[in-house]
Amino acid sequence: MFNSQRPRPEDLPTSSQLIRATALAAVAAGAILVAVVLPSEYAIDPTGIGGALGLTEMGEVKLQLAKEAAADAATGSASAAPAAQVASPTATAAKADAPQRSETMKLTLAPGQGAEIKATMAKGARLNFNWSVEGGRVNFDTHADAPGIAYHGYAKGKDTTGESGELVAAFDGKHGWFWRNRSSAPVTITLRTDGAYSDIRRVV
Amino acid sequence: MSFRSIAPPGGVLRAALLAASLLLLCFAIGAEAWAHNVAEGDKGYIQESSGILFWPFVYLGAKHMVTGYDHLLFLFGVIFFLYRMKDIGLYVTLFAIGHSTTMLFGVLTGISANAYIIDAIIGLSVVYKALDNLGAYQRWFGVQPNTKAATLIFGFFHGFGLATKILEFEIANEGLIPNLLAFNIGVEIGQLLALGTILILMGFWRRTPSFMRHAFAVNTILMTAGFVLVGYQLAGLAAA
Repeated sequence: MFNSQRPRPEDLPTSSQLIRATALAAVAAGAILVAVVLPSEYAIDPTGIGGALGLTEMGEVKLQLAKEAAADAATGSASAAPAAQVASPTATAAKADAPQRSETMKLTLAPGQGAEIKATMAKGARLNFNWSVEGGRVNFDTHADAPGIAYHGYAKGKDTTGESGELVAAFDGKHGWFWRNRSSAPVTITLRTDGAYSDIRRVV
Repeated sequence: MSFRSIAPPGGVLRAALLAASLLLLCFAIGAEAWAHNVAEGDKGYIQESSGILFWPFVYLGAKHMVTGYDHLLFLFGVIFFLYRMKDIGLYVTLFAIGHSTTMLFGVLTGISANAYIIDAIIGLSVVYKALDNLGAYQRWFGVQPNTKAATLIFGFFHGFGLATKILEFEIANEGLIPNLLAFNIGVEIGQLLALGTILILMGFWRRTPSFMRHAFAVNTILMTAGFVLVGYQLAGLAAA
């Protein structure tokens, strides 16, 4: 155009240089694909390089998350309608005069496993909680859902040995905790709850 | 020199349609699904991991660059008329200095700009470079803006875009700096891989007598893609 000189033909790479570069690029791409991309994305590691670099582990986490998301989507679409009918009477009952109750629940998570415990609470209801981990650390996500509300987050953390606090329900629905054990050994979580909720159970 | 002739409309239209479909494909791949509000894919992995993970972050940085169509379009514009290794090295280094600086600054200070605005500016950088390649600034204003300075300055904006994405990933504090450096190394490796591919393809293309004739059309398409990116991001800003 205007801001550059037309290149002289002798400055350009020759055809044989270009063909050699193409062949080299194809070989390099194949090596990168097998050694790096396949382990990182699909945990397929024929060379063992991905395992040595920690890439295969990334691939495993991604595959697991994708599988769980697919399972979630499948159950979510199947149970969406009945859940809405069941949930509303329970929520109104809880609102009328929320009984105070307290529970202690224990669960063990294998490496890579996730679990979720949720309590049914009415809007504004309060729940004191305390959970602790034996044998390691977990990632957690304290959140709620209700018909029409897929996710409402309260708190999140990584590599935690426990947490305590008060959970105030933001709306009528199910409120609770999701934990994931990302360590290489099983862990046990003990959850103590005390407050105004009508039903508490492990949902995942 | 004057290059008034452009490729026949049929060829331009075909190339424009190809560019548009490639862009749409990129947007479709960018969509994410959620479970327990835990993202899938790279984001999910980063949100669930902590500690120093050198090679995974090198990989993520390289992947971001190789699949980042906005960075690739800008790089394509920058090297369009560069063919000496010395020049390519200089411009790529300027771009790398620019985006590394703001990426590290953005993540370490936690200062993040609005992602839509930054990405719209990145789209504008593509438009700017395409117009520069077409000689528009000389034609319109009689001046040639410093191409090295422009590459560095747009590098700063691209780095802010990277920082904003990393902040969205909620990367753990534990091992943050080694992971960021690994990510940045990956970005450079990805840039070299992408650039190598672009250069080989352009090498074949430059040798054809029609290169200069097609150059006008291709930079026009590049500018179109830049405008699409700007519009896509501004629409996202309006809808958010």
